Amino acid sequence: MISHQEKRSGCKKGSLLSTAWLVLAAASPLLAQPATAAEYSISGESNTFLRMKSTIDDRNTYPLYEYLRLSVAVAEKDGSATSLHLGAWGRVDLGDKWTQDRVDGDLQYGYLSYHGAKNNLLLNAGRQFVTEGVAAERIDGLSVRSDLAAGFAASAFLGSPVVSEPNFQGGDVIYGGRVSQGKQGLYSVGLSALRSEGDDDRDREEQGLDIWVHPLKQVDITGRSSYNSLTSGWMEHAYTVSVAPMDQLNLSADFSRVNYNDYFYHVTTSALSLNNGILLPNEEQTALGLKASYSPVKNLTLAADYKNFHYSVAGDADYFGGGASYALPGSLTTGLGLHRMSGASDRLQYTEFRLYALKQLGKLDLAADFFNVNYDQRVNDVKNSFALTGSAGYRFNEKLKVWGDLEYSQSPDFDHEMRGLVRVAYAFDTTYSDGRGKSEK
Amino acid sequence: MKNKILMIVMIPLVLCALFACANTQSRALVHPEKVTGIPNCTECHTDSWGAMNHRAPDFFQKHGNFASNARSACASCHQESFCADCHAHKEEIKPSDKYKDSPERGLPHRGDYLTQHKIDGRINPASCLKCHGRQNNERCVICHK
Repeated sequence: MISHQEKRSGCKKGSLLSTAWLVLAAASPLLAQPATAAEYSISGESNTFLRMKSTIDDRNTYPLYEYLRLSVAVAEKDGSATSLHLGAWGRVDLGDKWTQDRVDGDLQYGYLSYHGAKNNLLLNAGRQFVTEGVAAERIDGLSVRSDLAAGFAASAFLGSPVVSEPNFQGGDVIYGGRVSQGKQGLYSVGLSALRSEGDDDRDREEQGLDIWVHPLKQVDITGRSSYNSLTSGWMEHAYTVSVAPMDQLNLSADFSRVNYNDYFYHVTTSALSLNNGILLPNEEQTALGLKASYSPVKNLTLAADYKNFHYSVAGDADYFGGGASYALPGSLTTGLGLHRMSGASDRLQYTEFRLYALKQLGKLDLAADFFNVNYDQRVNDVKNSFALTGSAGYRFNEKLKVWGDLEYSQSPDFDHEMRGLVRVAYAFDTTYSDGRGKSEK
Repeated sequence: MKNKILMIVMIPLVLCALFACANTQSRALVHPEKVTGIPNCTECHTDSWGAMNHRAPDFFQKHGNFASNARSACASCHQESFCADCHAHKEEIKPSDKYKDSPERGLPHRGDYLTQHKIDGRINPASCLKCHGRQNNERCVICHK
């Protein structure tokens, strides 16, 4: 007997393979094209990670990961370009099993793209991350966007939402788009919509308004409101005003409001379901924030921030603090931060501290990072939680870098935990120019 | 029926006309200057591109708006994998673990996030969906059955 989960998993793997084959088949003309193109470039990066850590039930795990990205682009003399982008990871457990599956992996993205010389025309086909107003979705499908006349621009997408192991089945088809009007460098106003349909009552139907206004060089206003037409309520408002009265000083104020009933409607994870007792269904969160950063000298930045969280059902909370960072490019990067969370419940009473430094000595990089959270009330009988990381890396050349780190931590879940990670990064970027042979950047 | 046919014919025609009349120059595929570290765009850009100053204290919360408005501007410096590091529908390594060689980056979930996620989930649960999406619960499902 095959469980629903296994069925879904089978479908998922089949869908993944289909997507990969579809993208590769569609890309085959691209790979055979360089003879007529002005420039033909291949870039990619391999990141291999070996992690060493214990699980919460004291098993020692050594998962080995390979993250691979590859881009092939053919740029024409008229400024247009056709490209293929692939990103995927795979994991094999060398020790005890890290999760249920000893071997796992995922195609993060894989799409064929056409970039027009005019009107910012962009056509994408395959697995991609769509960001169009109210939509921030990973889909298997098609998307198109372009500038139109009179400052208008339009985009549309259609596909199947990429789902991984949902508690509640998501939609089968998702589609939507965005229309915007603006003046380059001054403002942009966008209206967007998305709809997700399935074979049950897990549909989504959302509309969004987004704005960007830049009335003065020193002032920048961004914001977004999204509306759930199935619940007939506003999901979220989020607006930010940024002011930079001088080059060294940045000020920012933000406002956001989230209605849980509308925002978390038809989520596909039980962790954020309104029926699980964790989230309060009728909750409405309003947040007001202030931020400031000041650079008295070029490499030094001082920052301070404050955020107030107000809830209509639960108690309020304030998060505030500051920090400093100092960066000498190619030599030293260091920073520290101190923040205090002060809320109505015991869990929301803690102080957070971070100190980090990265020193570059020729081809050798050394880093240290300390992150500490001190709870006013003990959690699992632990008052102080911290993680201390020491790292070292060596850059053999521009392409190859090896990095290793060791992290020691104490937390409410682990008394003494030691974790390690080794990373080997290899990047390449090769360009073949028309009549000029091969050049490596 | 006639109206539907008319719309099916007219909408592509109007879009084609609007496309033809736009005649804007597409953004550069690759940023003309190689940018390293966290850039302060205002060092070179005196126009509105300066608003994308990555060192501004609110850039993190505004980056989604910029991605929605001008994704190709992001792509002139960033590979698609840069977005996928955080906006992952299925991921097993925290960004802050993956890039310990960049401690200056505002990568999420530093330290003991097993404990902290219960606090963040109470304070601002909507922020989970921004990266993990509504569809993803690969990691959540291990405990949240």
